Amino acid sequence: MSDTPARAKNEIIKENSHMLRGGIADGLSDMSTGALAEDDTVLLKFHGSYMQDDRDVRAERSKKKLEKAFTFMIRLRIPGGLVSPKQWIALDDIASIYANGTLRMTTRETFQYHGIIKSNLRTTMQAIDKACLDTLAACGDVNRNVMSTANPYLSKVHRAAYDLARDLSVHLLPRTGAYHEIWLDGEKTGEKTGEKVVEKAGEKAVEQAAPVKPAKDDVEPIYGPLYLPRKFKAVVAVPPDNDVDIYAHDLGYIAIVEHGDLVGYNVTVGGGMGMTHGERDTFPRTADPLGFCTPEHAIKVGETVMTVQRDWGNRAVRKHARLKYTIETHGIAAFRAEVEKRLGFALAPPRPFTFARTSDTIGWHQTPDKKWHLTLFVEAGRLKDRPGVTARSAIREIAEADLCQFVVSANQNLMLAAIAPKAKAKIEAILKAHGVSTAVPSGLRRNAMSCVALPTCGLALAEAERYLPTLVTALEDKLDEAGLANDDIVIRMTGCPNGCARPYLAEIGLVGRGPGLYNLYLGAAFDGSRLNKLVAQDVGHDKIIALLSPLFVRYATDRAPGERFGDFTIRIGAVKATTGGNQFHADIQLAG
Amino acid sequence: MTASPFLPKSAPFSAEDIAALNNVVGRANDKQRSWLAGFLAGLDAAQSGTIAAAAPPKARIPLTILYGSESGNAEGLALKAKKIAQKQGFDAKVVDLGDIDAAALTKFTNVIVYTSTWGEGDPPQRAVDFHKSLMADTAPRLDKLNFAVLALGDTAYAQFCAAGIALDARLEALGAKRMADRIDLDLDFAKAANAWTDRTLEAFQPAGSTVVHVDFKSVPVTADDDEPAFTADSPLEAEVSALINLNGTGSTRETWHVELATSDAAFTYQPGDAIGVVPQNDPELAASLLDATGLSGQAALIKTLVQSRDITTLTRPIVTAYAKLTGRADVAQLADGDAFTRYAADRQLVDLFADHKEKLTSDQLIGLLRPLPGRLYSVASSPKAHEGEAHLLIGAVRWASHGRARKGVTSTYVADRRKVGDTAKLYVKPNRHFRLPTDASRPIIMIGAGTGVAPYRAFVEDRAEDGATGKSWLFFGERNYTNDFLYQLEWQDHLASKALSRLDLAFSRDQPAKIYVQHRLWERRDDVLGWIADGAHLYVCGDEKGMAKDVDAMLVKILGEGDTGLAKLAELRKAGRYQRDVY
Ligand code: SRM
Ligand SMILES: Cc1cc2nc3c(=O)[nH]c(=O)nc-3n(C[C@H](O)[C@H](O)[C@H](O)COP(=O)(O)OP(=O)(O)OC[C@H]3O[C@@H](n4cnc5c(N)ncnc54)[C@H](O)[C@@H]3O)c2cc1C
Ligand SMILES: Cc1cc2nc3c(=O)[nH]c(=O)nc-3n(C[C@H](O)[C@H](O)[C@H](O)COP(=O)(O)O)c2cc1C
Ligand code: SF4
Repeated sequence: MSDTPARAKNEIIKENSHMLRGGIADGLSDMSTGALAEDDTVLLKFHGSYMQDDRDVRAERSKKKLEKAFTFMIRLRIPGGLVSPKQWIALDDIASIYANGTLRMTTRETFQYHGIIKSNLRTTMQAIDKACLDTLAACGDVNRNVMSTANPYLSKVHRAAYDLARDLSVHLLPRTGAYHEIWLDGEKTGEKTGEKVVEKAGEKAVEQAAPVKPAKDDVEPIYGPLYLPRKFKAVVAVPPDNDVDIYAHDLGYIAIVEHGDLVGYNVTVGGGMGMTHGERDTFPRTADPLGFCTPEHAIKVGETVMTVQRDWGNRAVRKHARLKYTIETHGIAAFRAEVEKRLGFALAPPRPFTFARTSDTIGWHQTPDKKWHLTLFVEAGRLKDRPGVTARSAIREIAEADLCQFVVSANQNLMLAAIAPKAKAKIEAILKAHGVSTAVPSGLRRNAMSCVALPTCGLALAEAERYLPTLVTALEDKLDEAGLANDDIVIRMTGCPNGCARPYLAEIGLVGRGPGLYNLYLGAAFDGSRLNKLVAQDVGHDKIIALLSPLFVRYATDRAPGERFGDFTIRIGAVKATTGGNQFHADIQLAG
Repeated sequence: MTASPFLPKSAPFSAEDIAALNNVVGRANDKQRSWLAGFLAGLDAAQSGTIAAAAPPKARIPLTILYGSESGNAEGLALKAKKIAQKQGFDAKVVDLGDIDAAALTKFTNVIVYTSTWGEGDPPQRAVDFHKSLMADTAPRLDKLNFAVLALGDTAYAQFCAAGIALDARLEALGAKRMADRIDLDLDFAKAANAWTDRTLEAFQPAGSTVVHVDFKSVPVTADDDEPAFTADSPLEAEVSALINLNGTGSTRETWHVELATSDAAFTYQPGDAIGVVPQNDPELAASLLDATGLSGQAALIKTLVQSRDITTLTRPIVTAYAKLTGRADVAQLADGDAFTRYAADRQLVDLFADHKEKLTSDQLIGLLRPLPGRLYSVASSPKAHEGEAHLLIGAVRWASHGRARKGVTSTYVADRRKVGDTAKLYVKPNRHFRLPTDASRPIIMIGAGTGVAPYRAFVEDRAEDGATGKSWLFFGERNYTNDFLYQLEWQDHLASKALSRLDLAFSRDQPAKIYVQHRLWERRDDVLGWIADGAHLYVCGDEKGMAKDVDAMLVKILGEGDTGLAKLAELRKAGRYQRDVY
């Protein structure tokens, strides 16, 4: 790589990391600090963990002769968000023993733990491994947890989508022995075969796991020693549901069903959300269609897309390293050509499909096989016990009674899947006993999503998870007055422009700028196919309500039949339509 | 004929000398004369270098002053007694019970014992082995021994002065002769102790002894023998310059780092010493005490209670006195045996009065209450690192019982009612038995939990200032890493600068299995033994019940199973290489 221009710092850290080992192991044994060395925290992400500190108490710490209140966030890798009752019990235990007592369901169908201290990091990893789960590649410059439209038990197509998600995730796992070495020392899982038996949703399946190998013969057949220039995210959608937000990801598969059978996938590439305030050459981008492929080619196609990004991606400037920028630079045609060249065959043109929504349908639903499925609305995905509403205990009790499978949705909700008819009443009773309501929340709330932000997220500029519910309550009043209490309107909030709750695909997007201040975006498509656009800068609680209320009133009276709020705001000229990522910052007209 | 006070002309002196001598001797009283006699005899003895030659006057009376002491009170009394005894011509020496066993008593003729009681009726830690040997059946007969015992204690404890009492009885049982009755003293022991010492020394003087022996051998006076410039009765008024709760928000602990401006040059201390804080009571508690005794709202009285009386500690003597005063049978019953122990367990004075309301006069109330004692705190700073300052680390004591919120008098006086800029009254409590090795190249192993880390901050600072070369290893324990890692940033700096060589931590509540410092010691036992082999000094500081006992047991286990371990630890203690500051 000698002739490359200046390389991003992370590239050097990866190169010298000895296949993601770095000094992590030594750092873990140094008890004088609750932190790890800065370079090691970069590598730690590949292992599924982030070093954080409690920002609520930062101010007091040095006065008290204490270092920052360092803790670690652990993110699991759970393709398709599917978890068995046994696994749930293990995950629930970990939450109370090592983490802050909550299970945080993410916008990418998995769990995060917060508040784990360094001395418990390894033990926690081992507990996760015992549950036949892992955290490998949940973060870092690799293929991340792969999502599929929630609930494989809805149909055989959903099942196929889930299998693709899981197989792709496994196929693209790093092969370094570092993970087993550092975290599962002595733990012999998969040592010989590199395979481990995984308890998945009640059945046994065999999953490739990173084999334990002496460092020297570690090889990364797919990634190579430097892994990817940046994170890489893949999802599988089953229309009409676009719960996984196909256009927000580097790689997407849209299941094409003809005469009730899965015939293949439309492949999409180059989606992404993250941007930086005030840097117009960073922007969210909706993915482009790449072509159609048959199920047996799906994984090969995915691997090839990823490896082209591996070789073409920008390794000098991390801010431009995502696939979306690679495609902006080379153009989709050139990119497709390279992929097809490496595949050795051309991709068929995309086939027709229609998406109806990005949100989940809250409540009970029965499938032809007589099985019941319950989608529980979980505010900001934070599953915990509060006085009166002991949701976490309720779910645990259900898991202990072995009444269903569990699926985390891309909207941070929890699905109780494949419930036998006779078990339905039991589940309802348990939920009732714990004060958990199965009632459908307002049209705004059930379509609301917020990122973690403060106090754990190191990048947060403003509150999100801890504030959005309050804002929604205030907006609900206005919607009530307008008679829109039950109309679906998608609202998403993040504490910074990185876009972890995919705010740029929300009809109402709010992105943190500073304490109590947000940028307001409008005009995204309800089905997730169009980005929104900035309409107001640095607005606080009251201003946000003042700006939205009149729009609600007009929407109630002037909307065309079936017209969505996002489309409406464009039609009445409140905001211009964003036709593509590179147009996100174009024709902005700020509301007075 | 009656002896004339004048030298005869025949005396072997020049006329001038005879006149001069007459001038003095003539006017001298009996005491002065006998002193002169002793003086001259002593002079001969000193010149001839042999006591034997020092006839005709009687040989000096040998006196061994023994002490068993933990925090230095009994030791202080013993050293004081020695000075007085020497003035009176005793051949007095002071011996720590930690340095002898029962057999040694057969070599003594006269002993005065000053001993405190610790734990729950136990002897002070260094005196434990002596007590064992004295109580054992193998203990020698002591028919030739004369003795007297002064027992220090605290009526707050069920086993008041138990160690002294046991010792006194056992010496008699072994045939020794009691020269003066034992006295058992509470925390306000000073006056009574001095009076007892005078009485007792008299009792050891043979009747009609005239010649006072004058000792020419100089009495070595070590620094620690000196009365500190500031005492509980004459404390230093020091300004609070910093007051920080070191525990992070959300901690289950409350530990205050207190910096005091002690610029007065006479206020000197060393790492290992304790500093006494003269507290004031919570005015609200004082008020509720008055409410319970029908004395509500007497401002002057409140002031007295707040400043000078112990209004919290429920002691048996007080219950007895209150029963007498009020003639209440139900109170009287509380005073005896188990009844008292059960009632007093987690109650305080206010409960006694509130549960058995009677009207008292202010004099009656004051009469019931003992003086408000100061509390000791291991100094957490090295004067070399913080000139004109003394730092303390004070754990706030708070609990609730019988529907009342309870507060430790001194710790919450500091935590709640002292602010930066206020003053607090301090005195120094030297502790010769908790000191850094004089040899700065010696390794040290410091073991402590909670506030027990205080003196180690002073130790490490002191060695850093001296550029000491000896390695240092700290074992620290608390509840939670994130919020209870006392002085974390400072330890990190000391590690970086090598002032601290090694750090091991035990946080009991961070994981399902409770981990304490003794477990870390066990995990590191090979290195610990290695350090000891290299001459390391071991230190243990902090809570006795909560930690020190278990650490002690673990050290024994590490040093060798059963008796070998015990013996080795005792050896280390005798060699001054195992020192404890526990409370
Ligand atoms: C937990 C989660 C939000 C949530 O409330 O659920 C999340 C949380 C964080 N994201 Fe994210 N991201 C999460 C989904 C997303 C998404 C949505 C998605 O992928 O569907 C995005 C936008 C899509 C994309 O990648 O473009 C997203 C874009 C980012 C970015 C910007 C990436 C970019 O290329 O611009 C960062 C910052 C970075 O990577 O440098 C980031 C970084 C972070 C970090 C790790 C902050 C950090 O780097 O220190 C956040 C941890 C906060 C905390 O305390 O937990 N997160 N993050 C989501 C976990 C997903 C998962 O399970 O893997
Ligand atoms: C040599 C020496 C050094 C010391 N060094 C330090 C030091 O460095 N730091 C430090 O913080 N302390 C230290 N101490 C202890 C300190 O002297 C005091 O004992 C402590 O601060 C409590 O004093 P207080 O006046 O606040 O509480 P007090 O009013 O004396 O109350 C303490 C008493 O309350 C009772 N009590 C306490 N908790 C409970 C409970 N949960 N339930 C029932 N009863 C209870 C017990 O009887 C206890 O003895 C040291 C003690 C000694 C002897
Ligand atoms: C932790 C601790 C335990 C004590 N236990 C007793 C006891 O059981 N009985 C008693 O009479 N005094 C007890 N005392 C009081 C001491 O004997 C008293 O403070 C004495 O003055 C200490 O003298 P020293 O400094 O020579 O050790 C205890 C004191 C402390 C700090
Ligand atoms: S969007 Fe920003 S604030 Fe929110 S979790 Fe992601 S990085 Fe943190």
